[in-house]
Amino acid sequence: MISKQKYWNPVLETLPHEKIRKLQLEKFKKIFSWAHGRSRFHRGLYDKAGIKPGDIQSFDDIRRIPTVEKSMMRGIQRKDPFPYGDALCVPLEEVSEFRQTSGTTGQPVYQADTWQDWEWWAESWAYILWAQGYRPKDRVFIPFGYNVFVAFWAGHYAAEKIGAEVVPGGVLDTQARILKIQELQCTAMMATPTYVLGMADTAKSKMGIDPRSLAIRKITCAGEPGASIPSTKKRMEEAWGAKVYDHAGATEIGAWCFECEAQAGGLHVNEAFFLVEIQDTETGETIEEPGRRGKMIITALDREAQPCVRFDSKDIIQWAPEPCPCGRSFRLIKGGVVGRADDITKVKGVLLAPSAIEEVVRGMDGLADEFEVIVDKEGDIDRITLKVEILKGREGERKRIEAQLKDQLRLKTNLGYNLEFHDHGTLPRYDVKAKRFKDLREKH
Amino acid sequence: MTKKVDLKELDSKIQSMKKTAEELKQMGEDFPALYRNISRVLASIKMLELNISDVAKI
Repeated sequence: MISKQKYWNPVLETLPHEKIRKLQLEKFKKIFSWAHGRSRFHRGLYDKAGIKPGDIQSFDDIRRIPTVEKSMMRGIQRKDPFPYGDALCVPLEEVSEFRQTSGTTGQPVYQADTWQDWEWWAESWAYILWAQGYRPKDRVFIPFGYNVFVAFWAGHYAAEKIGAEVVPGGVLDTQARILKIQELQCTAMMATPTYVLGMADTAKSKMGIDPRSLAIRKITCAGEPGASIPSTKKRMEEAWGAKVYDHAGATEIGAWCFECEAQAGGLHVNEAFFLVEIQDTETGETIEEPGRRGKMIITALDREAQPCVRFDSKDIIQWAPEPCPCGRSFRLIKGGVVGRADDITKVKGVLLAPSAIEEVVRGMDGLADEFEVIVDKEGDIDRITLKVEILKGREGERKRIEAQLKDQLRLKTNLGYNLEFHDHGTLPRYDVKAKRFKDLREKH
Repeated sequence: MTKKVDLKELDSKIQSMKKTAEELKQMGEDFPALYRNISRVLASIKMLELNISDVAKI
């Protein structure tokens, strides 16, 4: 019977928005008081700003609380209580989980979780999986290297929690994973967009297996924005004959938003578990209206060991103008995470988001999935080079592809590129998070 | 959802379960198998509170 239920939590997911806001305010007061009372780091930050727990009575009060940045966490870690430092809110013996950030933007941040926090991680993911149609009858394959990165760990625990059967695809290589999916007739999978496309390529080109012939019918992505980039999503869905869903999460935050089966062009924020604020990157003003982009300031309302209170994630998001047809009252962010404040870079004086290049390349008929972007200098002038692969058998269409690619890139990014065409299979391949954008200019 | 959910009633049963679990935890301080398992039960009860009790109170 429960499999027919549309929502993991039919009460919270359909709660009128004014009640969600009331719930968020009450929960924020508690987590703020918890962090202030138990973490020297947070207390120091708030005392310096002259804010005490009793001062928080409204969302306006919340907006006056200083934000926390990843660099601040780096500064306090690897000290006592080792290795988490002053943000830890529980005795070390209550910590049951260690994870760390990937270190893409600097020294990795260590994250402590109690068992209760870990239950919370799995609970957040249970909302995601249920909304994406996972049910107890599913056999879920998880092809990720179970390690210090949070990645799909909580997805694994959540799949168990909702009653599905989990097949951990840990240290198997890509071909062995595909054979295991085939043998066990797995129905769902979780992976980064890069790896979803890479697996399909391996299955077809090295094993003679059409991924569409396998039983995978839903794929949950994380780690990269690809599943919210329409052209990349289309490539994945066509390659596997499966629905591909996005979700966004982070080690220091949790799994805070997800796409549902309606695939309405956005991700639902789990507003019962997280408070998301959107802030204008120039003025710091809070953005309430749909359609205006800003950076996300987020609070995990129930995470205790190492709280996430008004964390400046640098993710660029915007509220969607319309509610989702699925009936959830959790608001949608349009197009998912559309960039990162520290990813968007100026090239030849023009603001460039790498995801815009991905959208063009993946939307181009005749090109393979991989590409690489290199920004460097030719004298004093910025130069941007895009390396792409032409699919085997399509080499004769190079002129047509080149002309279309130039036009689309100019249209979507307002920049001219040096284009390099490579043979299919010759650009670097990635198993987890791809590093396709390389800025080689000297930083000042 | 077809059946009406009585949040107050659900919360009342959750609180009763929590009270029992907390009592067991106190009784298990020299009994690792009891203490650690009931600690995990309490973490699961907390998830019920997040899903039901918190909203029942607003």
